[in-house]
Amino acid sequence: MSGPSGRVTLGRLIALSPPPWRRLGLAVALGAGASAATIALLAGSGALVDKAAARPGIGAIAGLLAVVEVIAILRAPLRYAERLSAHDAGFVALARWRVWLFDRLEPLSPAPLRTLRSGDVARRAIADVDALQDLYLRGLSPLVQAVVVAALAVTVVGVLVPGSAAVLGIALGIALVGAPAIAWWSRPTDADRAAAGTLAAEVVDLVHGAPELVAFGRAGEHLGRVERSAGVLARAGRRRARANGAIGVLVALCAGVAVTLVLVLALDALRAHRLEPIMLAVLPFTALGAFEVVAPLGAAALGAAEVVAAGRRLLAIADLPAAVQDPAEPVAAPTGPLEVRLEGATLRYERDRVPAFEDLDLALSPGSSTALVGPSGAGKSSVVHALLRFWPLESGAASMGRVAIEDMAQSDVRSLVASVDQDAHLFAGTIRENVVLGRPDATDAEIDRALDAAQLGPWVAGLPEGLATEVGERGALLSGGQRQRIALARALLAGRPVVVLDEPTAGLDAEMADRVVLGILGASAGRAVLVISHRDQDVARLDAVLEMSAGRILRRRSDAPQPAPGG
Amino acid sequence: MSSPLAWALRRATGRIAAVLGPDVAGTGALFATAVVSGLGQSVAVVVQAVLLATIIERALEHGATASAMVPELVGLGIAVLARGAFGWTLEWAANRTATRAGAEARRRLLTHLVGLGPSWLAGERAGELALSATRGTDSIGLYVGRYLPQLLVAALVPIGILAWVGATDWISLLILLALLAAVPPAMVFFGRRASEATSRQWRRLASLSAHLLELVQGLPTLRAFGRVPYGRREVAEASEGLRRSTLRTLRVAFLSALALELLAGLGTGLVAMVLGLRLLGGQASLYVALAVLLVSPEVFLPLRRASAEFHAAAEGRDAGERIATTLDAPAIGAGGRSGVAPAINANRLALDALSIVFEGRDGPALGPLTLELRPGERVALVGPSGSGKSTALHAIMGLVAPSTGRIMVGPVDLASVDLDAWRRQIAWVPQRPHLFSGTIRDNLLLGDPGAADRHLEGAIGTAGLDAVLARLPRGLDTDLGEGGAGLSAGERQRVAIARAVLHGGALVLLDEVGAHLDPAARGELTERLGSWLEGRSVLVATHHLELVGGLHDVVVLGGAPPAGPGGVSS
Repeated sequence: MSGPSGRVTLGRLIALSPPPWRRLGLAVALGAGASAATIALLAGSGALVDKAAARPGIGAIAGLLAVVEVIAILRAPLRYAERLSAHDAGFVALARWRVWLFDRLEPLSPAPLRTLRSGDVARRAIADVDALQDLYLRGLSPLVQAVVVAALAVTVVGVLVPGSAAVLGIALGIALVGAPAIAWWSRPTDADRAAAGTLAAEVVDLVHGAPELVAFGRAGEHLGRVERSAGVLARAGRRRARANGAIGVLVALCAGVAVTLVLVLALDALRAHRLEPIMLAVLPFTALGAFEVVAPLGAAALGAAEVVAAGRRLLAIADLPAAVQDPAEPVAAPTGPLEVRLEGATLRYERDRVPAFEDLDLALSPGSSTALVGPSGAGKSSVVHALLRFWPLESGAASMGRVAIEDMAQSDVRSLVASVDQDAHLFAGTIRENVVLGRPDATDAEIDRALDAAQLGPWVAGLPEGLATEVGERGALLSGGQRQRIALARALLAGRPVVVLDEPTAGLDAEMADRVVLGILGASAGRAVLVISHRDQDVARLDAVLEMSAGRILRRRSDAPQPAPGG
Repeated sequence: MSSPLAWALRRATGRIAAVLGPDVAGTGALFATAVVSGLGQSVAVVVQAVLLATIIERALEHGATASAMVPELVGLGIAVLARGAFGWTLEWAANRTATRAGAEARRRLLTHLVGLGPSWLAGERAGELALSATRGTDSIGLYVGRYLPQLLVAALVPIGILAWVGATDWISLLILLALLAAVPPAMVFFGRRASEATSRQWRRLASLSAHLLELVQGLPTLRAFGRVPYGRREVAEASEGLRRSTLRTLRVAFLSALALELLAGLGTGLVAMVLGLRLLGGQASLYVALAVLLVSPEVFLPLRRASAEFHAAAEGRDAGERIATTLDAPAIGAGGRSGVAPAINANRLALDALSIVFEGRDGPALGPLTLELRPGERVALVGPSGSGKSTALHAIMGLVAPSTGRIMVGPVDLASVDLDAWRRQIAWVPQRPHLFSGTIRDNLLLGDPGAADRHLEGAIGTAGLDAVLARLPRGLDTDLGEGGAGLSAGERQRVAIARAVLHGGALVLLDEVGAHLDPAARGELTERLGSWLEGRSVLVATHHLELVGGLHDVVVLGGAPPAGPGGVSS
């Protein structure tokens, strides 16, 4: 096992989202009540028949009879309420962890999470957070219940026959410690979890790549590999089954010895007239019932092991250093139209990688538009990252309105820039909600102008729900082109002095692309505009063109007077 | 096994039996062990009850001391221990059965799936199948290993215990029977409400979870527009929404457990009351009262256990249904088994009015298509997307069987050719290649596991993959992760080209190669491929005729100018 110990991990997780004490306490109290009711039902019934056997008359047993019936009816609702309140407590704690995760991922998005890590970090992190709710639901709550009920049972037998308290206490203690210990000892190792991941990946590969495996005659080999991974997992499963069995035997052993000894002590006490005859059945019945609450502790320990594993992965992500830190005393952001400058700028994602761009000079003046072109991988999108201050420059300078961007708060830098990223995100909600994201107080007229500039006006007007049309998760209900143009309208509406657009016309037909470019230029009067594009026609309409290749500017063209009048 | 029991089991297992076949590789004995262990646990409880009752009765009514009852006391301890020991064997057998049944289901599904062909696996079905092959087969294992034995025990134990109670005290039997009779209607009533509530809430839960995910995924956009506080508020609200709607569902879902537990509690309470009153009147003995009291909860316990597994069981049955449906889909044959196939470089390949129809889709996916490819010739297939270009290449690979018409290799029908030997002669570059988890090197070696480094480098050069590798810090040993994350569509296809080059073959099938490249890059690729294609037969599905020079024939598919033998010669 790598990383911090389980105790440290659990400690940090609990500090991040303290148990919702009231709800958790309620769950524990209800659960302990239900378990105690199970024991009391048996013990009370035992006392009842013991007493009735002496034939004392109905009056003598009426009270006991009533108690037994009440307990018989109460037990089930207690258990039902416990399960609900334990889940409730788990969900409340979960909500806090989720917000914590969101806050921790914020400074890491997109860098370094997207730029350095493969796969979908967000999806995995959310699944890991979901796993944390078991800490209280399946971990802490059963443990506290078991201890409370065990203590109650020991007290009851101790009051009746003092010597038996020690016997039952020791036996319960061994089971209380031993059951979770065995489970913890047999918890899945990192290797087991890796094997589960490998098997899943191999199965996905087999399903998606079956035609190619067949084509290259490798299907049998791959099937064999799946079988081997499944074999590793099966061994882990056997170990777990052995541990579960061992827990059962340990608990049974403790119970067998304890019940027998408690009964022997009770018989002696009865003989010595230190025990009322009607209480004879109560002792072994209570001892038997007390061990019932110990059995679930193995599962609780396994649940805790999963929580620790998930927590360790989460903390590892949360502890990543942010790519960019705010300065201690940020300078106020400039206002009004402003010029953007990169001078001798170099950006590198990882030390052992070539720079994304190197020694780059770039000047965007208010009211002018610049195209950035070049093959994929040339570093164009990294320029956007640098301007949005998602990633720091390794060397060189970047400024907006003569203020160095590293002297400003990140949020202030971003408040100057309206951008459409290559994977601009639409959120589930209406078209309107998505368009006003950058300017929640926009008027209807402003929204309409932005939609018109993005060439969406007639389309939105034609929708039965208009602006109130739902776009679905990640804009799934729209076409790629519509999604892109809504993101564009959002950027244009934001009314920021700098506009940065990454491939705003990709996937649009030629005529639409032309109209979109004209719309962008028309809506950006007085702003500094940077457009990344592949299309020659787009480029021809802009004031200046920079051609990038392998992180450097290859060529510059500036055939329009600067600054050009907007529109 | 008696026939009503077998019938009930068939009913309970649904199509899981169809998935696992008549005999689940030696799980019979293990299954029996699990059932016997479950029964053994209940027998131990009865023995324990009888001994406890005996001891207490003899102590109270006959003044017996502990030393006079040593065998009973020791027996009591052993009975308690035996219950735990049976638990161990139950756990062991259940785990073994579950593992074997799950593995068998997965093996059958995957083995069958490999033969289903690309069109069957296309689209959303692949994701669903991957889930079936992992979670689905696991849940089948749990169904067979845990739920089924539990179900049998739940059916047998109450009968046995009730018989014992009846022989001991028939009035208690009547009470327990009355309560047991209430179990099925209660289960049906609450079970139906629970499943209704669950499916009602399911959509809402799924959409709230998806919303949480997209808020985290959309963080860069939220940061860019200064709306992080909005995102945080949404996360908190979505979590609160999840909590409330889940609790609403659970309130109903837990009702059936509540009903069972209530009946069990009432069972003990009523039995105790009636016994107490009868003891008062001297109509029952203390021994009978104590023994019956201790045993009565055991009537309900197996039912509660089986009911706790109910949801897992439903998942297993669903998985069985889905997997059985997949197993019913006809796989393409393996062709002849001779181990040899006609040589491509000595035989004419001819598609003879080849037409392919997929079940459940309107119209044919291809054809009828007739074309001819002589050794060393180059033919292009053109046509709009959906006209069946890829399907034609799949058919030649033997991945899809012709619906009508034939594929002839010289004088031999491809249907009778050993397909593995046939495919060894073909270098295939699929339209959307799948990259396997592992390194780029692993993916290239799929074409030829024993390839020398020299050949590897040659293939990389031919595909123009060298520029891509130079950009990656770990080069050939770059881990592609799941689904080749990190490479663009064009780069992935270059990996597939290098893989095909490494595999080699007298026939080259290129499916939309270069579609993701700009004209300059496509021109460069044409140049690189040129010498490798020399002397090989080439069939290329493309929108860009200039990709392969020296075409002998261009065949147009789908609606456009009449295609046929001869086509539009270039």
